[in-house]
Amino acid sequence: MSKKISFADAFQELESITEWFETQNVDLDEGVKKFERGLELAKMLKEKLADVENTVVTLKKKFADLDGSLNQGEAD
Amino acid sequence: MAPAVISVSDYLGLVNHALRTIPHEGMVIEGEVVEFKVSQGKWVNFDLKDEKAEAKISCFMTVFALNVPLQSGMRVHVTGTSKVFERFGKFTLNVTAIELVGEGALQKAYLALKEKLRLEGMFEVARKRSIPRFPERIGLITSGEAAAYGDFLRILRNRWSGVTVMHVPVTVQGKDAVQEILGAFAQLNALPIENRPEVIVLTRGGGSLEDLHAFNSEAVVRAVFQSAVPVVVGVGHERDESLCDFVADVRASTPSNAAERVVPDRREIAVSVAMSADRIGDRLQYEIDDRSHAIDRALSIFDRSLARLLQSMNDVTRRFGYAFERFRLSLIATVEHIDRRVQTIDSRMKVVIGERSRSITELERVLKSIDPREVLKRGYALVRSAGKILKSSRDVAPGDRLTIQLGEGEIRAQVEMSAVQESLL
Repeated sequence: MSKKISFADAFQELESITEWFETQNVDLDEGVKKFERGLELAKMLKEKLADVENTVVTLKKKFADLDGSLNQGEAD
Repeated sequence: MAPAVISVSDYLGLVNHALRTIPHEGMVIEGEVVEFKVSQGKWVNFDLKDEKAEAKISCFMTVFALNVPLQSGMRVHVTGTSKVFERFGKFTLNVTAIELVGEGALQKAYLALKEKLRLEGMFEVARKRSIPRFPERIGLITSGEAAAYGDFLRILRNRWSGVTVMHVPVTVQGKDAVQEILGAFAQLNALPIENRPEVIVLTRGGGSLEDLHAFNSEAVVRAVFQSAVPVVVGVGHERDESLCDFVADVRASTPSNAAERVVPDRREIAVSVAMSADRIGDRLQYEIDDRSHAIDRALSIFDRSLARLLQSMNDVTRRFGYAFERFRLSLIATVEHIDRRVQTIDSRMKVVIGERSRSITELERVLKSIDPREVLKRGYALVRSAGKILKSSRDVAPGDRLTIQLGEGEIRAQVEMSAVQESLL
């Protein structure tokens, strides 16, 4: 799976793997695969959680700028 | 000099000309609204009256110019031009702008608008949308100078990261506030979907009902309602409320609380991620243990079966041994029995043979004792006539030749006579 997975997607996948483990009759081969995937996701999520930065962009005021281009403001 | 004669309408023309010289900018008339009524859905009439002096002005305006929920008893500031209508001869103020003043009036207007919007279903819980659990883009509509802005970003950073905050700076009070807030909503909603925030936060610090005017404006409430992006509203302090709070998808109590509502806490999520990893690990371990126990159980069942098989083979062998032993013993017993029987028969035979041989000896003795020759030896004789032994004297006649056999030798004789005796002895 791509590295560009979003936090929300990764978290949801981890939750669904957890749920799979808790509700299914676990097939060992499948279980080992899912377990490895779960660990990979958990590691990825932890790395994302370690990131402390948010970005603040200030949009040009009023209605002049409706095309979606953003003004990069100061980072928070 | 005779006075000039003019018509009524010309005179009213003069009056109205004079009235137009009264400045209507830079001045508002404050009074209380009485006799408020709307006719034909278009025309608004009310009287504006002083609280103290007995004085009133008839006011007129259209419903389209009326931008506040007006009711009798409200204190208002009115701007307009005055005129005497020729046809009715009545002095009237044509109202161009009206605004509510004083907490009482604002409170009444607030409640009236709240009720109206409630009846439209804008505050229904059922229409409220949920916000994404992990938003990546957050629209922020607030003043860049206010404490609310700093509070929101500070709490946001404390809790979560990796978020792009798209801030649209607006003034949150004053006459431009409503237009700027409406513009900000339009601007954020108009962004292409990939750039559009997943949630919009509309926030400001607390204030009086007048300060919160923009957040109670019908237009802003409708903008929140119509926003394609879910909206979190956080206004003021804990106890402040605005109509935007009611229409919001998520109502936050303060700007800080808005940040709390809009992003999760990274510590909680870290715990949750760690727990998930632990749980799936534990579960997998459990499953492996379970399988391993199942294998152990199967093996032990196999062991027991094998043991039972061996046991039953032993049993069979042992029983065969016993049976064979019994057979051997019974064979021995039979042989012995036969031997005994043979011995018995043998001894019986000897007895029988002995008995028989004694009987034979006896018989011999008896036979010997009845042997005629033995009798003859004792003096008896055998008399034969023509080869036949004579038993009666009547069987011979005189002259018959006789052979007399004695114990030793014989005599040949001839009969002289014969007689019959009844008894020899």
